[in-house]
Formats: sequence, C-alpha cells, structure tokens
Amino acid sequence: MSELDRRSLLKMGAAAIVGTVIGNGITLYAAPANAGEAAAAAGGNALEVPPKGKARWGMVIDNNKCTAQCTACTAACRAENNVPVFGDERYDGHWIRKVTLTPERGGPEKHLPLLCNHCDQPPCQHVCPVAATFTRHDGIVMIDKHRCIGCRYCMIACPYKARTFVFKETTEWTNKDVPKRAHGVVEKCTFCAHLIDQGKLPACVEACGKSGEAAMLFGDLNNPESAIVKYIRAVATKGVREDLGLEPKVFYTGI
Amino acid sequence: MANTKTKFSAIGGNSPGYLLLVTVLGLLSLGGFWSAYMMFLHGHYMTGMTNAIPWGFPIVMAVYLIGLSAGSLVLSALSSVFGRTEFKPLARISALLAALLLIGALMAIILDWGRPDRILVPFFSMNPRSMFSLNGMLYSTYIGICFVYLWAMFNDREKLVKLLGYTAVFWAVLVHSGTGAIFGFVGARELYHSPLLPPSFIAAALSSGTALMIMVLYATFKLTGRKLDDELIRRLGFYLTAFIAVVAYFIFIENVTRSYWPGNYAVQKFLLLFGNKYSLIFWIGMIGCGLLFPFIILANPATGKSVKWILFASALVVTGVLAERYIIVIPGQVMPMDMFPGYHITGPFQDGQLTGYCISPMEILFGLGITSFVFFLYALGLKFFAMMPDKAVIATGEKE
Repeated sequence: MSELDRRSLLKMGAAAIVGTVIGNGITLYAAPANAGEAAAAAGGNALEVPPKGKARWGMVIDNNKCTAQCTACTAACRAENNVPVFGDERYDGHWIRKVTLTPERGGPEKHLPLLCNHCDQPPCQHVCPVAATFTRHDGIVMIDKHRCIGCRYCMIACPYKARTFVFKETTEWTNKDVPKRAHGVVEKCTFCAHLIDQGKLPACVEACGKSGEAAMLFGDLNNPESAIVKYIRAVATKGVREDLGLEPKVFYTGI
Repeated sequence: MANTKTKFSAIGGNSPGYLLLVTVLGLLSLGGFWSAYMMFLHGHYMTGMTNAIPWGFPIVMAVYLIGLSAGSLVLSALSSVFGRTEFKPLARISALLAALLLIGALMAIILDWGRPDRILVPFFSMNPRSMFSLNGMLYSTYIGICFVYLWAMFNDREKLVKLLGYTAVFWAVLVHSGTGAIFGFVGARELYHSPLLPPSFIAAALSSGTALMIMVLYATFKLTGRKLDDELIRRLGFYLTAFIAVVAYFIFIENVTRSYWPGNYAVQKFLLLFGNKYSLIFWIGMIGCGLLFPFIILANPATGKSVKWILFASALVVTGVLAERYIIVIPGQVMPMDMFPGYHITGPFQDGQLTGYCISPMEILFGLGITSFVFFLYALGLKFFAMMPDKAVIATGEKE
C-alpha cells in the first residue's frame, strides 16, 4: 500500500469516527444545499415548507385510484432510502408495501400501500427504552439509528407492522445521499424527511404522481389552504385502525 | 429460635465432581456467548426470529429467568420477613441465586439486542414511559438490593436484614409486575393486551421459582454431603401447591374472559383448539406440566409427602412455566394483527398469515448458555463465600 493510500485511508477513518460521534440520526442526512432550486428544477413537485414547528405533515391515499399491478411507490422508496431486499420475505425491509384486501363477504379486491402512519400518539415511541424513536417538530416519527439498541420492542408495539429490523449487513446503497441501512437496528419510513427539508415531496408520492395514478396526496395538515386539507374536507377519509386511538396521519379514501 | 445459630461455610470445591460440573457449565456458557457473538456479528437471521416475529427464544428465556428469581427471593425473605426461622439456613444461597438469575435475565435481554455494543446507551438515554426502560432500572436496583441483603446477612446485621428483606419483597413485586407489563401494556396485540399479565406473571414466578429452589436446594445439599431436612422440602412443596393453584386461577380467568367475547373467537381458537404446536405447548406444557400433573402429585397425600415425588413435581413445574413464558411471548406475535376488520389481507410482509416461529439451534445454545452461566456463577459463589449452612434441619421443638 502506498503512502498516499494509507493517508487517505486514515482520513476516511477519522471522518468516520467524527461522523459517529456527532451523528444523531438527523444531522447525518444530506444537508439541503440547494433547497428551492432543486425542487424548482424538478418541476411541479415543490413543497411549501412552513417555518420550523408549524407544519404537521400528512398523507391521503385515494384507494380508488391505486391499482393492483403498480409498484411505483414501493420501488421509489427502496431506491431513495436504500431499503434492503434479501430475497427472503422473512427478512426483507419494508418502509412502504402494497397489500391486497379481499372482503370476507365477497366483492371487489382493494389494493393499497401501507406505510408508517406517523401517529400523533406513537406507541413505538412510547415503548422505546432509549428514546431512539422521537417525533420531529413537524410530526414525523423518526428513529435515531445511532441510538437504537435493536431491542425490537417498537415492532411489538406498532399495530401497523410499519417497522422492520435490519437482519443482515446490507450491501445496497443506491442513493448515496441517504445512509445505508444499518445492520442490527430497527428502521422505518421517514416520510422522506430529508426530501421535505429540501422542499421536495416524499419519493413514494412523487413516483405515484409520475406513474399517472396520482393516488397519493401529501401536505401540511396545519395549513387550511393546502390541497390535502381541502381534500379531507371534501371527501370522506379514514385512517387504519383509528379505533386504537393512535391518531395516524395517513388517511385513505375508499376503504 | 430453638436451635443454636446456624454456621455457614464455603464448600471445599476440590472434588473431581465439582470441577467437572464447573467445567461443563463453563463450556456451555462459552457456547452461549459464542452464539450471542454470532448473532451480533452476522445478524438475527441466524435465529428463528423474523420481521413478523421480532421476539424469539432469548426473550422467552429472559422473562423465564426473571420469574425464577422470585422464588429464591421469597424463600430468602421467609425467615427475615415472614418469621419462618426454619428457612433461615437457606437465606444466603437463595439471595445469591435470586441475584444471579436476574443477572442472567439481563444478559439474555442485552445479548439479544441487535446492537449489544450499545450497552451504555440505556444509562444515558432513558424513557420513563417505556416498560423496558423502567424494568432496566428495576432489575439493576433489584440485583443491587440482593447483594446488599447478602452483605447484611454475612455481617449479621439483623435489623438491616429485616429491612432489606421487606424492601426486596416489595421490589420483587415491582420487578415481576413490570415484566408482565412489558406484554400486558401492548394494546396492538390481542394476546398480549391484558391487565392480568402483571399479577399472573408474579404467580407463575412464585411457582417456578419455588420449584427451582426445591430442586437446587436438594441437589446442592446432596452434592455437598450436608443434611437438608425432608420436612423443609415438604413445606416448600406445600407453598408450591398453593402457588400453582393461583397460577391456574389467573390462566383460567384470562382465557375464559377472552373466549367469551365473539370478537376473540378467532384468536382463542388459534391458541386453544387448532392443534398446532402452540396449542400443544399450551395444553401439554403449560397446563399439563405446569399446573395439572404437579398439582395432582402434590395434593395427593400418597405422593405429596414423598421428597422424590415433590422433586418430580418441581421439575414438571420448572418445565411447564418455561412453556407458559413461551405462550406469553410467541403466539401473540404469530397471530396476525387485524388491521382491516372485515377484510382478508395479503401482502409481501407476510400480511394476514399465521407466520411460523421455530427455535433455531443458535437460540437453544443461547438459552442453555445463559442458564449454565447462572449456575456456573452459583457454583463459584458456593466455593468462595460462606454461603452453605452446615445443615438445614428443623429443631425438634418446631416440628408440627
């Protein structure tokens, strides 16, 4: 190994150590270097981000528009967040997944995506022994993967199966702007908080729009002028297992 | 107290039998640590756990070991708190075992984490709403209390022993209620969510703990060639009978309550009637071995007075309560959560399926290793500290 190689290796090592020490989950996400520009360049999917502490992000999924074959949202999520697939349904990570509902009395099947509901009363956060799960200022429930000890109590407590454990070392790292999934901790949907901070829509919502189905609507539940609030006022929506009292922030029409 | 002061001494610990025992236990412990290291290094896919069954046999072992420690502590407190002086010679070894079993349980929990290297995180980052966080505090203080209690007994601080005895009993109630609450407080899963779990956890802790103590005491006294009064075993057998009855009551009430309401028919059919391995473990392990057979043996005058039969019943209870812990932890995860009542759900995350859980060899090694480590430390404790009484006999005046 040449001297130069060794030196650069040492530098990388030092950077890794510093990164671990200062890292507390959010700070390690790519900083929004060019917030507005990037969103504007992408065109049409810019998100109006209110000042810190004012927003309360939510999602509406129009189940009548979601079709059986489409996997745009799940594929986009995997690519954006490096969610691992091990080729074994017991261990695959799922941040958003498509399920099929068959009415027990008969009738047409329904297809819909399930993801973390970012509950206002998140049981996963309540049971976390080290407070690695926390609610961000804008209502997004997140996991500090540097603090998580991997005890998996949150997976026991979540009634939506929104969380998956990283069972093996992962190799997938398609999107270098987002950290590789960390072996031995529990991870889940972040509503693409790193994209929201750049004024962009979550990857699944954007992919859903591009696929032409446009079944997903994302926005600020605190803003009475936002499209999502107007939609919720106009159309009957329902959260999954709202009877549990967890106050989810993902709503569905047509279930 | 009629008899003179009990003399305590350390055992010689030089016999080939002792050395063999310690070696075997040590090797088994190493096997357990190796399996834990493999789980840490390669990932939990080496166990039977999946994303649908995130808690497997290590958690079963952890709650089992926590429960087992209850009996030891109660036995230790019988003399200091409840004035049963005939048990005083046994107070030291049972306090030692109570602490060691809890240490084993904590090790099982921590080594089961995905990141056991983050052992220090819970000390700096707590969440008082989390039963895990609260229990971490309860368990560690309980271990501390046990050791101070031991220290007080070694130094003949009678008043302190009594005070610590009361504290330890109170703390044990918190520890075992807290452990039951880990599951009972989870509203998402029908088979977990029950206010009966904390008290029924205490009851099963008492029955399994007493049964374990009967076996450990018998073996320890036998192997060290010291005299243990049969009457002491019989009296412990009597307590065991009572504890079994209480456990049976709790299990009966819990299952009858759940079975009554039509909304729970599916989940109760799955647990009690399907004939899968879970209902077999429920009926043969938990009900048969844990409650019915030992109760019949102990309550029957023909067998209940025989030390051999009491030992057999104790072995059944120790096995049956392991099955009970399994039934608390596993089926609640196997039964899918009903996210969309009225619909059948299918999806890539084993949605709507009764997912299987099979204990892997790695987990068996893990459970065996942790348990062996507890008894490895126990054997060392007997050698290096004056734990063992010369004899444990009831003075003639006290015999009933």
